[in-house]
Amino acid sequence: MGNRLSKAICVSLFLLVFIWAGNARSQSYRVETIKMPDGLTNENGAIEFLPDGRLVGCFTRGEVMIYNPKDEKWSLFAEGFHDPLGILVLSNSEMLIIQRPELTRVKDTDGDGSADLYEKVTDDFGLSGNYHEYNYGPVKDGAGNLFIALNSTSPGGSMRPEVRGKIDTLGRDGSNGLRQMYSAVPYRGWIMKLTADGQLHPYASGFRSPNGLGFDSEGNLFATDNQGDWVGTSPLFHVQEGKFYGHPGSLIWTRGWNKGNPYRLSPEVLNGMRTKPAVLFPHGIMANSPTQPLCDQTNGQFGPFGGQLLIGEMNKERIVRVMLERVGGELQGACIPFLDGAGLRKGNNRLAFSPDGVLYVGQNSHGWLGDEGIQRIVFTGKTPVDIYTMNLTKTGFKLVFTEPMEKESLINADNFKLRHYNYAYHKKYGSDQMGVQSDQVRGIEISADGKEVTFTVEALQAGYVYELNLNNIKSKDGGALENTLICYTLNKLIK
Amino acid sequence: MALLFTGTSLSSHAQNGVDSVKTLLIKVETGLQFDLVRFTVKPGQKVRIVFENTDDMDHNLLITMPGAREEVVTTALQLAEKGPAMNFIPKSPKILWSIPVIAPDQKGTVEFTAPEKAGVYPYVCTYPGHGFLMYGAMYVNSTGKMPKLKDDRNIPESRRAAPLSEGEKHDDMHAGHQMPPVPKPLHPYTPISPYLYRVFIEGASPAAIAVSLPDSLSYCWDAGTCRLRFAWHGGFLDNSDLWKGKGDALAKVVGHIFFTDQAFPFRIGKSEKLALINYKGYTLIDRYPEFHYTVNGVDIYEMIRPTIGTIGLVRTFRIPDAGADVVYLADQEDTIVYKSSAGQWKNGQLQLNAAEARQFKVTMTIKKEMKHGK
Repeated sequence: MGNRLSKAICVSLFLLVFIWAGNARSQSYRVETIKMPDGLTNENGAIEFLPDGRLVGCFTRGEVMIYNPKDEKWSLFAEGFHDPLGILVLSNSEMLIIQRPELTRVKDTDGDGSADLYEKVTDDFGLSGNYHEYNYGPVKDGAGNLFIALNSTSPGGSMRPEVRGKIDTLGRDGSNGLRQMYSAVPYRGWIMKLTADGQLHPYASGFRSPNGLGFDSEGNLFATDNQGDWVGTSPLFHVQEGKFYGHPGSLIWTRGWNKGNPYRLSPEVLNGMRTKPAVLFPHGIMANSPTQPLCDQTNGQFGPFGGQLLIGEMNKERIVRVMLERVGGELQGACIPFLDGAGLRKGNNRLAFSPDGVLYVGQNSHGWLGDEGIQRIVFTGKTPVDIYTMNLTKTGFKLVFTEPMEKESLINADNFKLRHYNYAYHKKYGSDQMGVQSDQVRGIEISADGKEVTFTVEALQAGYVYELNLNNIKSKDGGALENTLICYTLNKLIK
Repeated sequence: MALLFTGTSLSSHAQNGVDSVKTLLIKVETGLQFDLVRFTVKPGQKVRIVFENTDDMDHNLLITMPGAREEVVTTALQLAEKGPAMNFIPKSPKILWSIPVIAPDQKGTVEFTAPEKAGVYPYVCTYPGHGFLMYGAMYVNSTGKMPKLKDDRNIPESRRAAPLSEGEKHDDMHAGHQMPPVPKPLHPYTPISPYLYRVFIEGASPAAIAVSLPDSLSYCWDAGTCRLRFAWHGGFLDNSDLWKGKGDALAKVVGHIFFTDQAFPFRIGKSEKLALINYKGYTLIDRYPEFHYTVNGVDIYEMIRPTIGTIGLVRTFRIPDAGADVVYLADQEDTIVYKSSAGQWKNGQLQLNAAEARQFKVTMTIKKEMKHGK
């Protein structure tokens, strides 16, 4: 979370999309608002589904509430949590919940419907009492390991006189820490792995505000981060053990670290150490504060985008969709709006699929920009006219559509506006689009069924976001293309 | 709505002090708001605005023609990807003065001469997404008057009530406070003591647990250090700041602290080695939390209830398998009377053998007047 909301929103752009998309998209997806209990401050920290089909949500004032979609009634399951921001359901009566001080196992042992056991699962990380030290997760891999993410500490807040964990001010920039996000107690800015023996292991470092963890269908772990210092625009990282993802402070907790204060290293050195994002979300265009990635594994219940990632966005009335491919051994890919407006609010912080394939969205503001409450997105069964995938080719890109497209508009290169740019890696808060250049789309070829189009781009370069805007493109049946903006993060070329 | 002074307070008379520079410091508060939401200047007065970005995100500050705020915000948004290079300040005759994007912890200044024409001149941050929330009003008039805060349509609705830090405090159930304009319940239910909150609170580690007991008694048990840190009576907590915005605040004790601990209370066996403590969690029994932790691997359970008829706490400990003598170290506060259900007191230390330590109670009550020693 954290600076997730420090993010801008391109409302004018959005309003246009809203008016237009509200009509088109409402035919494929319908947004509904869940009635919340009276008296609840609806800042939703997390939502998940119980095996019996009820929804569990936790809220800023520490409540854990259960909602039965059948009778639309809420009941209290547990209370007293400090900023709970993640739930992993274990059974109808048991779940793991992350809060500021620890990961807690919460269980109703006597079957009366409310929890009576609050067992610490792990608190083996530092806590300075700074407001920005939000914790996220847990998510579980196929082997049963859990992963949690620990925010960096904010220069806008302070450390408490009494902290938990060893203090090492080498993880700060400046003697008082009042410059950039930092890590002065263990593992702030890390993603941690909890193994079955209860041990918490440092897993990957360099995160600023990773408010969103999730796996794809192949078991790859992903985390989003939030634009700010050292984060030029908000990214999606493919998180792998031992790697460093760019925000410096956390490096001091690397085993065997002997390079002193990481903020004293040159940006070139740090840049050489870091693993780049799989996907960049261009700020002001795609997402300013992306949140939880959730893989659509609904087998078509939620529409045609199975296997892709859906990602919440705090600053816009939007859910973003991500499609990935492996190029040169690494994951990279494209992001595209999935749903804009259509009644969706801002603050889209947590996502969960119901057993029948409805996407629930928990909303939060938490002092930044956002709305509050829970909405759900229902697939109506009508396939949206949309870009299904965007893939890199040796000489350009290939687009696959969900429906056959009208070939006359698709063959016209004037309908393809392509440009590329990248973002600076520096301590300054965010980055402008750097090196912006327009590209000419050439050699357009359309498949016989009208669902695929390939085109070439002269001098395709690695290290850039390729932003494509499609204009005047329709389906064969005359349906407008629902999303016309798609951004491909080209880290590696196909050799 | 017509403002009191519109059209009536235009004055050609030079006012005393008009030539002196009026300096205003504007900071940023959590939740996309300027700390200073409105102010007055005189027509033609020299004004200096120092904008200090006390937030953790970027902001700018534009002053617009009366009534032009929303138009300017929309125009700024239309800059789209060109916005950053222009500091989100569009070219518009409706923008009178501006301070470009200021990074966190940086300052910017603008100096200008206030318009001769009286009116309400909005100031706004046009960083994308901020402008619909983050604005204020500069009143230019010779009278220095502004409408009542609650009636002021030129400031965000959320700022028309008393400041939140005052208003939401009374969210708290405790009597004796002025009620906020729209009272909000704490929860969708009425908490019944005993109940607890994990909180940031002064006098404990950041992993504190605050528990409300019946009879207006409360205590803080610290999961970071596995011990009772302090206890109070007369109320529970005011969490309004802690729960507001980003949570950059502490819970506040309501009532009077009557006990503050000094050190970890247990020594098990003869070992002088530093006790390794490990918090395990708690179980609710009749809603009372029973805390579980270990000291050098030995399990300890502790439940705290109120005493009956006096102000004090009954602490029930269970050490099922101490494997050695146990010493409970009472704090040497002469305001508290200690009693125990088992063991022997010696110099403020309760000595128990392993069998006695399986379950025992320590009762702590406030000393009424002169009392014999512990």
